[in-house]
Amino acid sequence: MTYELTRRDVNRLRKILIELLDQSEADSCLICDGAGHVLAHENVNRQDPLLISALGAGVFAATRELARLLGEDEFSTVLHQGMKRSILIAAATDEVLLVVMFSGEHRVGLVKLYTPTAAAAVRGVFESIQERGEAEEESVDHNFVLKDTGNIFAGKPG
Amino acid sequence: MAFVNQETREIQLKIVYYGPARCGKTTNLEVVHRLIRPDHKGDLTSLDTVKDRTLFFDFMPLVADVVQGFTTRFQMYTVPGQVMYNTTRAIVLRGVDGVVFVADSQWSEMAANVESFKNLQQNLALQNKKLDDVPYVLQFNKRDLPKTAPVHYMEFLLNNRGKRRPSFTSVATSGEGVFETLNMVARLVLHRFVKDASTAAGSRARDIKLV
Repeated sequence: MTYELTRRDVNRLRKILIELLDQSEADSCLICDGAGHVLAHENVNRQDPLLISALGAGVFAATRELARLLGEDEFSTVLHQGMKRSILIAAATDEVLLVVMFSGEHRVGLVKLYTPTAAAAVRGVFESIQERGEAEEESVDHNFVLKDTGNIFAGKPG
Repeated sequence: MAFVNQETREIQLKIVYYGPARCGKTTNLEVVHRLIRPDHKGDLTSLDTVKDRTLFFDFMPLVADVVQGFTTRFQMYTVPGQVMYNTTRAIVLRGVDGVVFVADSQWSEMAANVESFKNLQQNLALQNKKLDDVPYVLQFNKRDLPKTAPVHYMEFLLNNRGKRRPSFTSVATSGEGVFETLNMVARLVLHRFVKDASTAAGSRARDIKLV
């Protein structure tokens, strides 16, 4: 099974992230799905988004299980607070997470204040994607052509 | 579930190494990380215990140039093999696109192999997936050890589901069979991705559950 975000979808998500960074004074943020795929990110360096998504999705899924064990429907956010840097993970939908990274203890309140609004906006994007009809969708490239898959990855000897 | 980002022209695919405790799942990723070209890999991250047993998962991104006009990122995971960590295994399996089932070839581990293989099917069922619908390969590891079961016996035990799946013998500690396994599962996942994308004409993000 495959799912896809168009250029317009990604730009809408990025706009939400930029606004969140501006309002909350957070350092960086990203949107990922439950499988750990990166959907959009802002201010995260080139390597980190993949790992942050993988770990963030894992942490949040584990937290969901804890909530279930305690008889809660869900813990909607997870906050890991450090001396210098902290991370807040919020559920935008059942499958989509908003991850916000920030510095300084004084920003916790701002991040907590603005993240739910951003998460709701992300949810709105996915709702609109679901509601739009095939005909309204942008013309995107679905013609995926494989190159030679004979030896995709090669290891050096020894 | 494969993900396509049309803005960044990127395809993300998830492959999980599954199997009983101490069968060599982490060793597979470690060997790939050690031997693969630097421009194909990211860091290998292991969430393990003091005894070097996988507690949550190992994770390593790989990148390949195999789809025209797109960068393809394979997100490689292992699961913890120990029976008590089943919730974790189910979590890591979420959205999986392909599986490598690593079996321990020692006679003493046959029951654990079978149990883990059943457990894989049960955890896929939690996502409403059937193993037969998921691209997967089998790896019979630790062929260098004494008292290993014959390959045909392991095939009978684990590869008898009608359609036979690709299987490889390996000695993961030395790298034997590791890249063969990786390339085969990557190939299967890519072909499935192209097939699904063309038949569904890209089923879009509508498939993401909002509930």
